[in-house]
Amino acid sequence: MMLEAKDLTKRYEDGLLAVDHLNFKVEPGEIFCMFGANGAGKTTAINIFLGFIPPTEGTALIEGVDVVKEPLKSKDYISFVSENVMLYDNFTAFQNINYFAKLGGKRNLTKADYAQVLNRVGLQEEAYNMRTKKYSKGMRQKLGIAIAMVKDAPNIILDEPTAGLDPKSGQEFLKLLLELRDKGKSIFMSSHDIFRAKLIADRVAFMLKGRLVMLRTRKELEGEDLNQLYVEYMEERPEAA
Amino acid sequence: MLRDIIAKEIQDTIMSPRFIFTFLLCTILILLSVYIGINSYLAEQKEYSAAIALNKKNLESQPNYITLATTGTKINKRPVVLSTVVSGVQEAVGRVATVNVAFDPSLVDSKYSSNPVFAVFGALDLSFIVKIVLSLFAILFTYDAIVGEKERGTLKLTLSNRVPRDRLILGKAIGGFISLLIPLVIPLVLSLLILLIYPNVSLSGDDWGRIGLICVMFLIYLSVFFTLGLFVSTRTSRSSTSFLLLLFIWVTFVTIIPKAAVIVAARINPIPSVHEVTAQKDAYLQEIQKESFVEQQKFFREHPRPEKQEEIAKWNEEIRKWAEDIQQRLTAKIDEKNAAIERDYQTKMRVQQGLAVNLSRISPSSALMFSCMSLARTGISEHDRFLNSIKTYKPIFTKWINAKMMRTLNLGEGEQPKPELSDMPQFEFKPERLSESVVRILPDLALMVFLIILFFIGSYVSFLRYDVR
Repeated sequence: MMLEAKDLTKRYEDGLLAVDHLNFKVEPGEIFCMFGANGAGKTTAINIFLGFIPPTEGTALIEGVDVVKEPLKSKDYISFVSENVMLYDNFTAFQNINYFAKLGGKRNLTKADYAQVLNRVGLQEEAYNMRTKKYSKGMRQKLGIAIAMVKDAPNIILDEPTAGLDPKSGQEFLKLLLELRDKGKSIFMSSHDIFRAKLIADRVAFMLKGRLVMLRTRKELEGEDLNQLYVEYMEERPEAA
Repeated sequence: MLRDIIAKEIQDTIMSPRFIFTFLLCTILILLSVYIGINSYLAEQKEYSAAIALNKKNLESQPNYITLATTGTKINKRPVVLSTVVSGVQEAVGRVATVNVAFDPSLVDSKYSSNPVFAVFGALDLSFIVKIVLSLFAILFTYDAIVGEKERGTLKLTLSNRVPRDRLILGKAIGGFISLLIPLVIPLVLSLLILLIYPNVSLSGDDWGRIGLICVMFLIYLSVFFTLGLFVSTRTSRSSTSFLLLLFIWVTFVTIIPKAAVIVAARINPIPSVHEVTAQKDAYLQEIQKESFVEQQKFFREHPRPEKQEEIAKWNEEIRKWAEDIQQRLTAKIDEKNAAIERDYQTKMRVQQGLAVNLSRISPSSALMFSCMSLARTGISEHDRFLNSIKTYKPIFTKWINAKMMRTLNLGEGEQPKPELSDMPQFEFKPERLSESVVRILPDLALMVFLIILFFIGSYVSFLRYDVR
């Protein structure tokens, strides 16, 4: 397996139980979508996988490497795309991708290699030498996925990658993820967008108050009423008195 | 990887609008300051030459030794070429002292006293620009070094790669510091070139050595604020908080601590005012004058004017000898007493100054100013050294003029002879040697290096535990 959470638990210092005994696996060539309302624990789980916070209990494994025991090694096997891909605004796309490629251990890539990747993610050629401060959110997301592609790690974690994207950009972005899946990458994606993610996800999971409450394959999901699921798991409701 | 991080940091900073603004402003200010410094130095040089010529003319025009003794000679302070970069206290303290038999010499006629407008705005010299402007830029470059990357989200993206945190903070520190140096080094090199080629400004090897050390002190000073900025940036979770906190610390370091140190030192170790010291000296002078009058009466009682004409010459000679003796004796007593009063005052003042200096040294700005002034020879210590040299010269001059005056005393026998100046003792001043200046700046250097290490270790440790989310 590529990504695995084993009884992953995170309780913050203020007592909040953000992730509660979370268990899941993401296989190679699979898109795994994690849904949940704000505060459900999706981002906390991602932060544990990225080594930004330690789990209180349980283990997070990337390619079998424990992220707590070997944090640096585990990062060789993962690429990350955040909700709002924020890059160095004064840099062009080339400069940004070159810097992150080097951090990702790809030192021998040429401008032509970068151009090829940028072309693949659908970025217009005239944008390659443009400072990213002028980029739209859609362009940033494309550049973010290009950076992940250049790193060529076997696993990709995406935190709400389609949030705020217009329908066309969202569609293009999902298409890219399908391409990556077809290349054998395991993709873990947190999302609010159940309707859009349903189009590409091989498996979907729902988190509620830190717990994984539902796991479905795409086939199983086809028979579900998405509106009902949304209301049940995604809508934020005030706590019952 | 470290090289990539450093290169990225430099590139990112250089391409930012704040760098362009900083670079332009620094270039304009540094070049302007050196230009102003050179012009001011040349004007002072001209003034100095004129004052020397005038003094010579004045000495030569004295009709006799008695008028020369009361008028005295004027000692002018030679302008220091390094005042072009660090003006120090030069403009606030006096530049000329009158040495005569009557009064204790003191330096008067400062630039500020001749034109108080200068005192309002102060000098725009290189040390001022580094102390105020560049330290502020150091903060501007670092306040968001870590917290800004966190806010933008680039820190998360960076650390999702195999990037050790210690290497990242080190790379950011080195890259950021190099970026900060560019707006300083380029105009500084241009300024030094101007100093080198400007006519009538000649710098010795010793001066260049001092300039080199001043530049090193500038770099160390900026490193203090740079590492401070880095440290605060790793201790805050919002860049606005980081900036406000740094601004507060900057104001405390640059303005509050130096001023407060002087006030606190004056409270802890009060010293008599200059008027009180002068009153003490005047009181003793009056005492001596009375004593002189009594002795004079006694002498003339015991040595009445002889009746016989042939004894007059012998009598005159006796008077001359007696007068020379009493003049030397009383002047020596006055000098001794004045020196004792002055010593006491100077000791108290030195204790107060020492306390103020040591208290203000908590601030790197004070440490920078003290060290740069010592290196440029424009500080308080050099002023004291010059004044002490004049005070050492005073009894030498007094002894010479008294001897001359009495030897040529001609009681009621026509004109006094015109002073012969060829054997008049000349004033000599030996400025502080470079090795002495280096020893003097060691405490300031040590303090700033300590702060750099402290802040860097602080930021290093904080970043290892930094919450990047």
